Amino acid sequence: MNDENAWVLQAQQGNDGAFTQLVETYQKPVYNLCYRMLGEPELAEDAAQETFLRAYQNLHRYDSSRAFGTWILSIAAHYCIDRLRKKKFSVFSIDAEDEDGMPFEVADPASPDPEVESVTKEDRDHLHILLKDLDPTDRAAVIMRYWYDYSEVEIAQSLKLTVSAVKSRLHRSRRALAGMWQEKMSHARPERRSRESLAF
Amino acid sequence: MNHLPFEEWLLNETAVTPEQKRDLDLHLRSCTYCSALLETGRMLNNARMAGPAAGFTARFQTHLAERKIADRRLKLWGAFLFTLGGLALLMWLTAPYIASFLTSPASWISVVVGWFVFLGTTLFALFDAGLVILSVIPNFLPPFAWMVLLSMIAGVALLWTVSIWRLVRVPQGV
Repeated sequence: MNDENAWVLQAQQGNDGAFTQLVETYQKPVYNLCYRMLGEPELAEDAAQETFLRAYQNLHRYDSSRAFGTWILSIAAHYCIDRLRKKKFSVFSIDAEDEDGMPFEVADPASPDPEVESVTKEDRDHLHILLKDLDPTDRAAVIMRYWYDYSEVEIAQSLKLTVSAVKSRLHRSRRALAGMWQEKMSHARPERRSRESLAF
Repeated sequence: MNHLPFEEWLLNETAVTPEQKRDLDLHLRSCTYCSALLETGRMLNNARMAGPAAGFTARFQTHLAERKIADRRLKLWGAFLFTLGGLALLMWLTAPYIASFLTSPASWISVVVGWFVFLGTTLFALFDAGLVILSVIPNFLPPFAWMVLLSMIAGVALLWTVSIWRLVRVPQGV
């Protein structure tokens, strides 16, 4: 039995310290999912906190044959999807993260070149804006696929969809993102294109 | 413009041969849609994790403590309102009887005493009748019927005992 399973078991028996260990371990993946889904650091913080509270209250329902990470991300995804459906976010600011210093993105030691870093940062911001136009479930599928390397089967389990539906949603989202990007680029600087890499 | 098979390669991130890559590069020069597909795929594959501000766990512990207090308060209020509602219903149902009892207690007392007397005499009569039946029945029933009857009673008793044991036993472990 690994540490995580032991923590889950102890938490199920009422040990709050063990649950705190699980919060420590999964705070970043859960927060990241909420942030990519909702777009605002404050909303992501609230959603991540609520996700852990829901997990705590429903710990007796957790099926230990599933990975705890998949289970908790599934709670987070469903919470964010519900929240997005209840309220359309008219304001989608990305400035707040720079001003407030949140969220903290992990520095990549392999790319010290400031210019490259600047381009990558710009791409991340573009991606962040593009994601908001996707359907909430499609967005969750894209985030699970590209941020967590989840397989289509894992995404299907987490979002309660069929594998073929996940595949179709991922393709639809990729096409939609490409369409949005194409439209954006048609108004952007022509020199940007020279930086594109054709390598996979 | 025909995007096949390039769109499929880009969507599925298929590993391509050098020849296919050459064809793809050629297609990308003239196709803005597939270029956008490649670029967005590259951005997605380079996406990074965002983390919460420091002190997330401490904030969670505070929220958890608040939620526990709120839940406890809700349960207490629920129990209080449930009890109050039950009492109000009981009062509403019994109010006419209580009022009647308070206005004329003598008639109520005579009714209650009469009821208890009726109950006592009925029980005595049933007991006497049972004794008479028990003293007469053995003369009519053959011995094997007694065995069958006793076996049935024993079976029912065993079934009842096992059912009670299964219902009240406490599961061990998780």
